[in-house]
Amino acid sequence: MLARVGHWLRGVLRRRRLEREMTEEIAFHIAARAEELRRRGLAAHDALRLARIEFGAVERYKEECRESLGLRLLDELRADLRFAVRQLLRARAFSLATIAILAVAIGAGTALFSTADAVLLRLLPVERPQELRRLAWVDTERSRFRGSYQGSMHAWPGGRLATSFAYPVYEHLRGRSASFSELVTFSEASQLNLSLDGHARLARGQLVSGNFMRALGTEALLGRVLSPEDDSRKALAYAAVLGHSFWQRELGGDQGVLGRTLRVNRGTAVVVGVLPRGACGVDPAWCPDLMLPMAMQPVVDAGPDVLANPRRWGFQVMGRLRPGVSDEAARAETEHLVTEAIRAAEPAEAWDPPRVLLLPGGHGLQDLRSDLEMPLRVLAAAVAAVLLVACANIAGLLLARASERRREIAARLALGASRFRVVRQLLTESLLLAAVGGALGVLLAYLVGDGVSRIFLGDERPLGVEIALGARVLAFAFALLGLVGVGFGMLPALRATRLDLLSSLRATGTAERTSLVAGKVLIGLQVALSLALVAGSLLFVRTLVNLHAQALGFRPENLLVFQLDPTLNGYRESRLFDFHEQVLQRLQALPGVRSASMSRWGLLAGSRTRDGLGPPGADRLGVDVHYVAPRFFETLGFPLLAGRDFAWSDREGAAGVVIVNETLARRLSPGQSPLGQMLVAEDAPLAVVGVVGDTKFASIREPVRPTAYYPFRQSRQRSMTYAVRSELTRSALVPAIERAVREVDPNVPLYAIATQQQRIGETTRNERLFALLVSGFAVLALALAGVGVYGTLAYQVSRRTPEIGLRIALGARGNHVVRLVVREATLPVGLGVAAGIAVAFAAGRLVESLLFGTTSRDPSAFAAACVALALCAALAAALPAWQATRIAPMRALRQD
Amino acid sequence: MSERASVLPGTLELLILKAVSLGPEHGYGILLRIESISGQALSIEQGALYPALYRLEHEGRLESDWGVSDNNRRAKFYTLTPAGRRQLRDETQSWETFAAAVATALKAQPGEA
Repeated sequence: MLARVGHWLRGVLRRRRLEREMTEEIAFHIAARAEELRRRGLAAHDALRLARIEFGAVERYKEECRESLGLRLLDELRADLRFAVRQLLRARAFSLATIAILAVAIGAGTALFSTADAVLLRLLPVERPQELRRLAWVDTERSRFRGSYQGSMHAWPGGRLATSFAYPVYEHLRGRSASFSELVTFSEASQLNLSLDGHARLARGQLVSGNFMRALGTEALLGRVLSPEDDSRKALAYAAVLGHSFWQRELGGDQGVLGRTLRVNRGTAVVVGVLPRGACGVDPAWCPDLMLPMAMQPVVDAGPDVLANPRRWGFQVMGRLRPGVSDEAARAETEHLVTEAIRAAEPAEAWDPPRVLLLPGGHGLQDLRSDLEMPLRVLAAAVAAVLLVACANIAGLLLARASERRREIAARLALGASRFRVVRQLLTESLLLAAVGGALGVLLAYLVGDGVSRIFLGDERPLGVEIALGARVLAFAFALLGLVGVGFGMLPALRATRLDLLSSLRATGTAERTSLVAGKVLIGLQVALSLALVAGSLLFVRTLVNLHAQALGFRPENLLVFQLDPTLNGYRESRLFDFHEQVLQRLQALPGVRSASMSRWGLLAGSRTRDGLGPPGADRLGVDVHYVAPRFFETLGFPLLAGRDFAWSDREGAAGVVIVNETLARRLSPGQSPLGQMLVAEDAPLAVVGVVGDTKFASIREPVRPTAYYPFRQSRQRSMTYAVRSELTRSALVPAIERAVREVDPNVPLYAIATQQQRIGETTRNERLFALLVSGFAVLALALAGVGVYGTLAYQVSRRTPEIGLRIALGARGNHVVRLVVREATLPVGLGVAAGIAVAFAAGRLVESLLFGTTSRDPSAFAAACVALALCAALAAALPAWQATRIAPMRALRQD
Repeated sequence: MSERASVLPGTLELLILKAVSLGPEHGYGILLRIESISGQALSIEQGALYPALYRLEHEGRLESDWGVSDNNRRAKFYTLTPAGRRQLRDETQSWETFAAAVATALKAQPGEA
C-alpha cells in the first residue's frame, strides 16, 4: 500500500519524466517490432507501418497506462480546473461579483463562528475542565441567613439563582467535602490602585484561594504560581501573579519583574510569577491583570474584614469532582455542609436552608455566554439568510450562464462525455468560485479577529478567552464553502446537462419552460429571505428610535460624569464623607461649572441599589435607592416638585431624611402630599422632606420604578459617581477637575470619565449594533435580490429577442412588451413576499425579547418591507423591460 | 500462421509475471517470450501489454530499470519483485486448480451427472 502511494506520488511529481519514458518505451517497442518484420523481408517503410498497426492506438494505451498509475482523475481535475479558470476569466464581472458576495458572507459566518466557538463551545483551557462544577444556590424570601450579597443572580424557579457564598461557608466546605478533590474560591477585585516604581494605574485583579491554580492545573510562564502557603495572613509578604496581557501591556514583557514589589491599594505584594497567555482563570468574560491570594482581601478591599463575616455572601466557589462521585451525591453532601456552616453562625431558625445546585463548570462562568448568546444567534440567522440569498443568486446567474453554454455542453455530451463528467466539470467551476471567495472570507474573518465580541461588549477589558482561527473554525469555514459551492453549483449543473441534444444543438429560440421554473424558484427564495431581513432590520431600527424617544426625566446634555473611590486609599467613615464633600465644593467653585453633585451609581449606568421602604408597621415597598449629595436634582436637570433639596447639614448624626419620586409618593400616600410622613428602612426612621420628578434609573427599557433618595452622608458608601453640568468642552473641563481633586488628595485617580450621553449610548449599544448590522445585511440581501431579478429577466429578454421582435413587428405596443417581460417576475416576487412574511413571523419570536415599543408582528414594519421589496423588484425589472421595447424587429428576426 | 487463441481476460498479468520470472526483459521481449513459451499459441494485443505492465509495477509486483537491449538501444527492463513472485505462485496454483476443474467438467459423459 505504502509502495503504491509512493509510486503514485512519484508519478504525480515527476510527471514530465514519466511521460517521456512512456513515449520512449513505446517507441522502442515499435522500432524493435519493425526491425523484426524487416528481417522477415518487409520493406523498411512497410515494416514500420505494420508495426504501428499491430501495436494499436498509442494514445489510448498511454491513457490506460496513466489510469493504471491512478493519474487519470488528477489529469481530469487539472484539465477541469484549467478550463474553469478560463471560463471564469471570460466572465470577469460575474466572477468578481460572486467572489465578493461569497467573501463577505463566508467571512461574516466564520467571524461569528470563531466567536461562538470561543465563547459558547470551547471548554476552558484548564486541566480536565469537564470535572469542574460551579456551586450555586437558590435565594428566596426565607434566605435570611445572609446579609449583603455580591455577585450575579439569575431568575430561577422559586427564587433567584445565586453563585456567591460566605467565606466561612467556603472554609467549612473545603475542610469537609468528600465529593470534591479541590474546592476553590475567587472574587473580583475590580479596582486596584497599583503602583510600581512610583507609577500608579488602575488595575482589575482577582482574589483567589491558594489552591486555585493547582486545582486548575495552571502553570507559570515565569517564576511560579500561587500556592496554598501564599494564602495565609502569616505570610511575610503577599505574593502576586501577573496576567500575561497586563505584563505585556503595562510592563513591556519585562523578564526582571520577578521579585519586584507592588503597592496594591493599602498593602504591598511581591511579584512571584507571570501567567502564560490565555491563562485567565475561569471567567471567559475577562482576563485579570493580576491574581492575588484571598488572604490579601482585607488589604485590597475596603470595608471591614469580610472573610470572617458569615453574613456577607460574595465569594464564588468551584470544585473539581472526584472520579466516580455522582453529581447528585456531591450536591446532597454540599447542601448538607452549607446548611451546617450556616447553622454554626445563625442559630435562630428564622431561615430556610438553601437548595444547593451544581452547575457544569467546564465552560467557565456563564455570564459572558448569556451576554453574547443572543447577539450571536441573531447575527448567525442574519448571516445564514444572506448566505442563502447569495447562493440562490449565484445559482440563478449560473443557471442563466449554463443556458448560454447549452451548445457547448450539448456538443460535449454528443461527443460521448458522460453526464457525470460534465456535471463534475461544472461543479469544479462553482467550487473554484467558492474556494476563492472562501479564502478571502477567511482572510476577512482573520482581520475581524475578536471584533465581533468587542463591538458587543465594549473594549474596556480584555476577554478571558482567545478568539482565534483554530482548526475547528477553519474546518467550519471549509465545510461552509464546500456546502455553498455544491449548493449553488449543483442545481444549474444538473439542469444544464439534462437536455434534449438535438434541439439544443439547433439552438432554436423556443423557450424551454422547465428551466425557467428553477430560475423563478430561486428568485422567490431570494425575495423571501430579503424580505425577512428587511422586516427584521426595520424592527431593530424602530426599537432604537423608541428607546431614544423615551422620556428620561432629566437633561443628559452638557453633563460630564466620572468616578472617585477614595476607599482604595484608606478613607473611611467621616474622613471619606469629608473627602467627597471637599471635592464637590471645589468642583462647584470651578469657573464654567454651573453645578456639580454626585450619587452612588449615576443615572442610566446599568447599576442600582435596591432597598425596602415603608411606613412603620406596614409592608415595605421594594424601591430603587440613590445616595446623593445636595443639588443632585438641579445638576441632573429634573424638578423638585415639593419640599426641599438635601443640605450639607443632612449628615451623620442628624435626623434621617428621604426624598421620594412621584411614583413612590403616589404609592405611599395616594392623593395627598407625603411631605413630613415618617418611613422606615432597615431600622432607622426617615422623614420625607421632598418629592422629585420621575426619571429612568438603571436602564431606558425599564419603566420608572418607585425611587428613594438618601443623603450620602447618612449611609456607608465607597466610590461615588460625580456629575458636573457645564457648557465647557470635555477637554477643557477634565484637567480642571483633575486639579481640583488633586488639591484634596493627589493619590486618588479619576476613572470612568464620560459624558452622560456616552453613558446612555453604552446602555443602548446592543440595540444600535443590531439595527446597524441587520440593516447592513438587509441592504446586501436586497441588492442581491435586485441583481437576481434583473439577471433573470435580462437573460429572458435576450433569449426571447426573436419572439419579442416578431411581436413588435406584428404591431405590439411598448406597454404590451413591458407587461410581457414584467409578467415573468411578478409571480415569483409575489410568492417570495408571501413566503418572506411567513419566515419573518417565525423568526420574529427569536428577537422578541430584544425589541422595545414594538412587536415582532408589527404590521407597519412588514408593510414597509413589502414596499421596499416591491420597489427593488420594480427597479430591477425596469431596465430589461425597457431594453425589450427597444428591440429592432429586423435584427431580432435575423438572429434566428 | 497457425490459429491462435486470444488471451482470456485476467490471464495476461499471470503470463507477464511468468515471462518476467524467467529473467529481466523489456516490453517487446516479454511479448515475444509469451508467444514463444506458449508455443506461439497465444496472441496478445501488443499495445494492451503496457497498461498491464504499468499496473503490475504500480502494485509493486514488478520493478523497472533502464538498460540496453541486444541491438544496443535504450530499453526499459522489468524484473520480478518478491511480491510478484508470491503472486505468480499463488495464481499459478489457482489457475491449475481452475483449469483442471474445467477440464474434468468438460470431459463429463452423459449419465455421469
